[in-house]
Amino acid sequence: MKGIVGLFLVLAVLVLVPAVESALAAGDEPGEYLDRRVVIWNLFFRMMTVMFTVGAVVSGTMIWLVWRFRESHPKAKPTAYEGTDW
Amino acid sequence: MVLELQKPRPIWQIMFSTHHTDVGLLYLIMSLGFLFLGGTLALAIRAELFLPGAQIITDSMTFNRIFTVHGTTLIFLFILPFASAVGNYYVPIMVRYKDMAYPKLNAIAFWMIPPSGALIWLGFADFTWYATPPYSVISAPGPAADMWIFGLKILGISSVLGAINFIVTILKCKHPDMSIGQVPLLAWSFLSSSLIILVAIPTFAAALLMLLTDRLGVSGFFNPAMGGDPIAYAHLFWFTFHPEVYVLVIPAIGMMYEIIPRFSRKPIYSYNSGIFAFVLLSIVGFSSWAHHMFATGMSFTEKTVFMIGTLAAVPASAMHVFNFIATMWNGRIKFSTPMMWSVGGIALFFGAGAGGVVNSAMPLDFSTHDTYWVVGHFHLFVMGTIAFGSIGFLYYMFPYVTGRMYNEAMGKVHFFLSFIGTILVFFTQHVLGLYGMPRRVFDYPPIPEWIAMNQIATIGAMIIGVSMAVFLYNIIYSSGKGELANTDDPFGLGGKYYFPFEAKNPSH
Repeated sequence: MKGIVGLFLVLAVLVLVPAVESALAAGDEPGEYLDRRVVIWNLFFRMMTVMFTVGAVVSGTMIWLVWRFRESHPKAKPTAYEGTDW
Repeated sequence: MVLELQKPRPIWQIMFSTHHTDVGLLYLIMSLGFLFLGGTLALAIRAELFLPGAQIITDSMTFNRIFTVHGTTLIFLFILPFASAVGNYYVPIMVRYKDMAYPKLNAIAFWMIPPSGALIWLGFADFTWYATPPYSVISAPGPAADMWIFGLKILGISSVLGAINFIVTILKCKHPDMSIGQVPLLAWSFLSSSLIILVAIPTFAAALLMLLTDRLGVSGFFNPAMGGDPIAYAHLFWFTFHPEVYVLVIPAIGMMYEIIPRFSRKPIYSYNSGIFAFVLLSIVGFSSWAHHMFATGMSFTEKTVFMIGTLAAVPASAMHVFNFIATMWNGRIKFSTPMMWSVGGIALFFGAGAGGVVNSAMPLDFSTHDTYWVVGHFHLFVMGTIAFGSIGFLYYMFPYVTGRMYNEAMGKVHFFLSFIGTILVFFTQHVLGLYGMPRRVFDYPPIPEWIAMNQIATIGAMIIGVSMAVFLYNIIYSSGKGELANTDDPFGLGGKYYFPFEAKNPSH
């Protein structure tokens, strides 16, 4: 459980800190347009990295889950709740 | 459940009935009718955008009218009434009460929808589902715009009446032996979304009145020429309609909470976290409305608050996803059609949520604001999550409503085609937005990448169109001539159906 909390904390920091940083870095001076583009796309790629990492883990888990726990899987066995009132 | 179509009755008996399953059936039929109408408009939009230049629609005004009515129809006349259909069927049974708390009010709430649908469709307004001011105030042609405003006004009243009914039914009419902590998660989803409606809708109701008086020229709330501010309308609109996103999605998640344990042959992994996540979503839904308006010149502090408020929805959404995954884990999952739609809906929900998180970072929002990224993101939610959850649940309740089974093979074909089509249309639209294509355009320059991606999206839409034709045939044919269902266990799962409480409705 601590591991999961730690993982989410890291992910939250990866998303939130650069977002706030780059928003602050944007400034209000004219002529900074190109810099902002760099910052914005840098942020975009960092966030997409986080999203794809989490997405790959969750989607991979779901695909495996669907394959492994389908009722036609050779190792499928009745759950403890079948035939009961739950 | 009551088997409506197994006991044929004159149609007027159902139409003028106040019984919750009759009203539920009316909601169901009407919402499906509007699904196909709104979907047809979507196909027209995609066909038009297949290539640059005018294709099948002659002018931009007509195009604007089509996508305005498409959006209004599918949100207000399909998704919301469909959720009401499910709520009408299931909530009284789940709380073990004979009917909704106010049956006549329930029927009135339903019968307010057809006239408002008629106003929206006969008017065919052109100012987007957002009723964009100052255009909507100054020059949107009447009476279409005024009919749209009145239609939405009536729909708002209907939603509030329905919400009050659900809240009172769940909180006050539940069986005395049942504590609120024992009410099934589907009913909890209706409680949460009804509470959001009660808080959110009055703001938009006020905005609509202001819009109407502005159009009549007696006020200038949103008219810059009279000292008004269109941004004020944006605040009022999004204060209602960002929480409204959760009004739409929470019942769909509740439907998945009904299906996934059943077809995994296990109880839900964590009932309490499901409730917690519903309540959390209901609250944080109100802390993020201005993320739709980062480009309107808000201060940095305001933007930061709303960015973080938006991100606060992530843990609650993730709790639902992990709850579903943990429920399926170690189950013996039967992939009947309802389960396939639910699992597909979760996968797309995750994709839509991930895009939303990326987009909620304010610097990125500037890059994607009013581009096709937004269209892709929004539609991935409403089609990929809400419609998938809803259609899955329609298949689930089909044998209970009609007494007959739908055709399983056609249900699976419907799912696979819709899943592929949805990915083709809406993931592509995300990329199209990053390439800079603005939303709500009738025509676009012949940039090769734009053309290619628009064509992929149009092909995806056509695939969805074919899947919906299969769906229509399946439900019409099966409700009349389908195999008789074993209503004790129509999906062959074994065990009890109304976890954690049996359906003991004394009226049935």
